[in-house]
Amino acid sequence: MSRVLIVEDEEHLALGLKFNLEAEGLEAEIAGDGENALKLLLPADNGIDAVVLDVMLPGINGFEVVTQLRNAKQYVPVLMLTARGRPEDVLRGFEAGVDDYLSKPFELAILVARLRGLLRRKQWASGAHPQTLSAVPAGTEQQETFAFDGKILDLATLELRLKDETVQLTVMEAELLRHLIRNEGKVVSRKSILEDVWDLREDTDTRAIDNFIVRLRRYIEDVPAKPKHLLTVRGVGYKFVAQPK
Amino acid sequence: MRVISRRKAIAFFITLSSCVMAAAITLNISWVVLNWRRLGLLILGIIFFGIVIAGLVLNTIFLVREIRRNEQQDSFLHAVTHELKTPITSIRLYLQTLQSRQVDEAQRHEFYRVMLSDSDRLLNTVEHVLHAAQLRHSSNKLEDVVDMERLVRECLEEARNHHHLSTESLRLLVAASEGDAKVTGNKEELRSAITNVLENAIKYSGEKVDIQVELSSGDNVSVRVRDRGIGIPRADLKQVFKRFYRVSDREVARVKGSGLGLFIVRSIAKKYGGNAFAESEGPGRGATITIQLPRAV
Repeated sequence: MSRVLIVEDEEHLALGLKFNLEAEGLEAEIAGDGENALKLLLPADNGIDAVVLDVMLPGINGFEVVTQLRNAKQYVPVLMLTARGRPEDVLRGFEAGVDDYLSKPFELAILVARLRGLLRRKQWASGAHPQTLSAVPAGTEQQETFAFDGKILDLATLELRLKDETVQLTVMEAELLRHLIRNEGKVVSRKSILEDVWDLREDTDTRAIDNFIVRLRRYIEDVPAKPKHLLTVRGVGYKFVAQPK
Repeated sequence: MRVISRRKAIAFFITLSSCVMAAAITLNISWVVLNWRRLGLLILGIIFFGIVIAGLVLNTIFLVREIRRNEQQDSFLHAVTHELKTPITSIRLYLQTLQSRQVDEAQRHEFYRVMLSDSDRLLNTVEHVLHAAQLRHSSNKLEDVVDMERLVRECLEEARNHHHLSTESLRLLVAASEGDAKVTGNKEELRSAITNVLENAIKYSGEKVDIQVELSSGDNVSVRVRDRGIGIPRADLKQVFKRFYRVSDREVARVKGSGLGLFIVRSIAKKYGGNAFAESEGPGRGATITIQLPRAV
């Protein structure tokens, strides 16, 4: 059974979510603030498969929680809940290492579906079978791997296998890399990345994407400052080149 | 981060204006020194420089005031968004749960209770916002001579019922006084002021509610509400009456509020020639909020 940690200081919301996740056949736990959440999540063998994280928490906020988790190399999938739903907040969340987001008020069905999406990836990553997920028909998502220039992106495990090391990506880093690889050789605009990868349909400050690109370059480029695969197309966006000349 | 950069912007523009003003004043003085023999030019120059300097001063004042207002509006939006969206999110979550799942009888009653309390919270926020907006345009509400003792007793009774409190945990002490505790004002507004203070005292008391309300009358009629809750840091004793101000403390963040309650309380007190103030021996040691109103003769 998958275990989900709900980090939410509003007691009513937390209890309502717990009831629903348990009705879905998941195990749910509640942490009332960021400190308690970190206490539960930081140990490597915490047994938690996904986190539903509110941003506005007393004490350290949701962004900070994710940042600390990722710094401690904890890659548990995180679904963020924001009250304001402003693009800045969402992008800040992704920058911190959040995997998916929903703005409040959310649709219960969508929350459950997104959470299942995150759990599915997590289960693939740990090699378990996804048969416990009743609501999702098996095989809706193909296991995918992309190979380029001696590097392998494994979307099932969210791993990037390089010559002599393996990098663990967050869901969104992997999605962005996949989007770029799929459009190999073509120029991909920042706006289309926002729409296709993040599902954001607003005109917004797109620097968060640049931060992602910087991170990806650190993984896949030999010299991140002189990229060969992930090229910047001035004024438009980015271009992925699999085999640089 | 945005607040800091805005602070910087304010500092920059104020410095700029002061520099320009200093330059204008220097020029003005030089003009006086250079032209002190020619009376006509002298007077004309002083008038023009005077206009320029006055314009600059007015401009700076206006700018600072606008920035302040903008900041207030920001924190208002932030607080109100949270206070409005959270109960709505919760109510929707429970409704969708009831709609899509099998829920047993006991569980369902619990859900109804939660939804009702969330809608109370929503209503409370809406009323606070409307009330605060009304107070800005002082409406001519019916003013009357109000018997404060009776009013306080009513408010206490209501609070006890609403929060299921005993008479011991929320008690009234009426100090012996010469004359009746009567004040002039709108009864409903005064009620709202007292209720707001009581609600705060209960909210910030935590599990164990121990509140004493003292009513005394001399030249002024004062209602003191003393709780043994989380208290107020010294630096925040005045700030808490500001619109949308909330003490930035972990314990406070656990208790929900719009940051309008005490602002409303003091606005009402001031409207009827009184005031409101807070005392506290510090965090964790309780707080006393006093509403003071002139006694009606």
